[in-house]
Amino acid sequence: MTALLRAEDLTVRFRLAKQSLFGPPVHLEAVRAVSFTLEKGRALGIVGESGSGKTTTAMAAIRLTEAAGGKVLFEGEDLLALDDEAMRARRRDIQLIFQDPYSSLNPRARVADIVREPMDLMEIGTPAERDARVRELFGLVGLRADQLGLFPHQFSGGQRQRISIARALSTNPKLLVCDEPVSALDVAIQAQILNLLARLKEELGLSYLFISHDLGVVRHVCDDVAVMYLGKIVEHGPRDAIFDAPQHPYSQALLAAAPSLKRRKSEGYVRPMKLSGDPPSPIRPPKGCAFADRCPKAQELCRDMPPEPHEEGALRVACHFPG
Amino acid sequence: MSDMTDYKAESPAREAWRMFRRNVPALAGVLILGIIVLLTLYGQFFYAGDAFDVVWAPHEPPGATAEYPLGTDYLGRDIIAGLLTGGGPTLAVGAVAAAITMVIGITLGALAGFYGGWVDNLLMRITEFFQVLPALLFAMVLVTLFSPSLWTIAIAIGVVSWPQTARLTRAEFFKIKELEYVTAARAIGARNKRIIWTVILPNAMPPLIVSATLTIGVAILFEAGLSFLGLGDPNVMSWGLMIGANREYILDAWWPVTFPGLAIFFTVFAVSLIGDGLNDAFNPKLRER
Amino acid sequence: MTALLDINDLRVTFNTRYGEVTALDSVSLNVNAGETLGVVGESGCGKSITALATMGLIPSPPGRIAGGSIKLAGEELTGASDARLRALRGADIAMIFQEPMTSLNPVFTVGDQIAEAIMLHQKVSAAQAFKDAIALLDRVGIPSPAERARDYPHQLSGGMRQRVMIAMAVSCRPKVLIADEPTTALDVTVQAQIFDLLNEIQREFGAAIILITHDMGAISEMADRVAVMYAGRVIEQARADDVLDAPQHPYARGLIDCIPALGKGETELREIPGVVPPLHLLGAGCAFADRCAHKFARCESEKPLLADHGHHPAACHAVEEGRI
Repeated sequence: MTALLRAEDLTVRFRLAKQSLFGPPVHLEAVRAVSFTLEKGRALGIVGESGSGKTTTAMAAIRLTEAAGGKVLFEGEDLLALDDEAMRARRRDIQLIFQDPYSSLNPRARVADIVREPMDLMEIGTPAERDARVRELFGLVGLRADQLGLFPHQFSGGQRQRISIARALSTNPKLLVCDEPVSALDVAIQAQILNLLARLKEELGLSYLFISHDLGVVRHVCDDVAVMYLGKIVEHGPRDAIFDAPQHPYSQALLAAAPSLKRRKSEGYVRPMKLSGDPPSPIRPPKGCAFADRCPKAQELCRDMPPEPHEEGALRVACHFPG
Repeated sequence: MSDMTDYKAESPAREAWRMFRRNVPALAGVLILGIIVLLTLYGQFFYAGDAFDVVWAPHEPPGATAEYPLGTDYLGRDIIAGLLTGGGPTLAVGAVAAAITMVIGITLGALAGFYGGWVDNLLMRITEFFQVLPALLFAMVLVTLFSPSLWTIAIAIGVVSWPQTARLTRAEFFKIKELEYVTAARAIGARNKRIIWTVILPNAMPPLIVSATLTIGVAILFEAGLSFLGLGDPNVMSWGLMIGANREYILDAWWPVTFPGLAIFFTVFAVSLIGDGLNDAFNPKLRER
Repeated sequence: MTALLDINDLRVTFNTRYGEVTALDSVSLNVNAGETLGVVGESGCGKSITALATMGLIPSPPGRIAGGSIKLAGEELTGASDARLRALRGADIAMIFQEPMTSLNPVFTVGDQIAEAIMLHQKVSAAQAFKDAIALLDRVGIPSPAERARDYPHQLSGGMRQRVMIAMAVSCRPKVLIADEPTTALDVTVQAQIFDLLNEIQREFGAAIILITHDMGAISEMADRVAVMYAGRVIEQARADDVLDAPQHPYARGLIDCIPALGKGETELREIPGVVPPLHLLGAGCAFADRCAHKFARCESEKPLLADHGHHPAACHAVEEGRI
């Protein structure tokens, strides 16, 4: 297996408004030295709750958010070291699907032009070839050719997400970054889009970097999973290993919290693990393990020293007391 | 109410136009403005007479002679001829001033809103500087410095009225640049120039169009104000100049001031109606009605 | 015995630019004290309108209750005066909304807002009401409630705000609590906390809960009974276990098969093709017919009624004729 995308110690810092006029600038470390690997032809899911930094990690990995440090190797080439023009050229290999199908399409452009625009910008093929490609893509994602001249507001949420996917595929990318691609859709429509993504991955040999808060969706789509908490990956490994026997207490809590059809009120289920409180503030992260305050297993060591990621079977876990 | 797709290609602009057509006050505005524009463009061909020619006794009241139904001014010049020839320059000053306002305001506002940071800081300080200048006084200084021609007047008005447009544009850009379709454009490798002018600006246009329309009205009033103060272009007849020239005699003769005043009133009123209509048409919340 | 809340044959219509459309059509639901009824369906199915109608909050115009009855402990609510409905709202029926940020007033402290809700329905002093508010915040699991009561909504996390909403909703010990997608805006770990809290509160206060959701997982963990809605009608209604284990209506079946929920095994997701039809385009037949794999001639011409066809009530011709 070869790595398509490999992040090493990727760090993102946001500058906040100063607390006082003469005070030092305050920084928020949204992503703290994150490393992960996405193999060719596979889907890597990044899961976490809001504020975990999962979206920022992905955006920094494809240079839509500026990274403060680290490396992102795409086919062995460090994207963060490329100049703007070289990065622009690289974008044809890396495309993006957004969460909100309503705000991710320019409302003033016809959908055929939206799908065609990446090819225009990258100057791919002749104009006639681009038109043919737009039609082909429409068929591929399950839209009809007679809808080419319409505007985004004339489509339903699911159809808009199909348009978004067609746009992303127009440059024949190798990597598709999917940022919560189904969380704004109705459940019945979610299945349509998830099945479409699964089919496209097989047919076109795509790789996905898939961001989601929904464990069920990630389990369905992804081959590998990285769990994030307060800007760090706490557990990373093959899907089945994580879902069947998570080693990090946070992963365990996340799985216990996700609604499941197996837990019935009639049977008086008791949640195996409950979390209380909220994650700490990313402006002043705790000096030890970020999860320590909410962790049932936390001990003195956890509060003093951040755990280093290490191998636990098939998984890479950042916890002093895994299992 | 729910997901619905009607398979009629209707662009947002066409939809706005459909809304606009149903707006009776706005249509009245278009009608009034249309009549005024037609009269100022073609009226002179049907109603011969130079506005500067002394044709009759001074201060002939309206209705006194069949030949000059609206009477004459303090020099004995025909008021109808003045209204017909004076309308063109008045409207032109309004349009040119509004155009200058839009060009400066949109450019600076777009750059400030898109780039943020120090660019925004610098441009906004400049904007504030122009905003706190007493506009009328500043325009008077400009006109006095560079001889009062129609062009300098239009430019002076444009230069003092752009800050509002700049602020509006900046606010729209701040809002729209966070939307995902802008990130989407960056993700497919669009350069900043393209994002500013072909992605964000078209989406920011609706409130700007409304503001431009209203700016025309303000500019016309501004021109009238300058002329009233005696700073108009004395070689070109305009409604403002008519008012300015006759204002000293207003107690003896009301008509040389009132008729151009009414002309300005109706023009600005019509422009405001159109502006409000456009505002409603672009406002998606009202669209569902 | 009649149920605590008994909705019978309710019909709600809206005036739109397409003319009058029927948003709710012969909806019958009931819920008893201490019981949770889950109402599930996609957006536009009418589940939120059902909640608003029960609260007497249908915006009118354009909406109106065109028929049927809503009885709370035997009292008819559909024709009740505004004053009577106001007195009931908050006291006997309370509601929790989806987005706790926009349903709390940003310029008052959360303690004041809860105290305000208490004073609207009970004759207590302001000081006592504020004390009660702090006790309620403690009850819904907010740490250091006395300090948090003096916080403004934006100073609290999403989960905390939803707890505040719950505290406000239960402040007068309502008989019926309507929760409209109460956790959609929240993270899963917080959602789990809120679910557990609602269950605890129900055990303690004995309130009837109507949980409106699109999430079958939430139904599984929260509901005793379920009503599945589609295009303004109830198409299946039974005990939660019956619906989850043996869904009868093809749409209910599709809703369960299409979610990639945990604890379901490795089956491929079954899609429900197409989208919910707009209400103004509903014809004479079954609203689901165009998306249904079991459609036959009768589905095009006749609306199926909710009735028991052997297992539990479902509104489907194919089930009735034993085709599925």
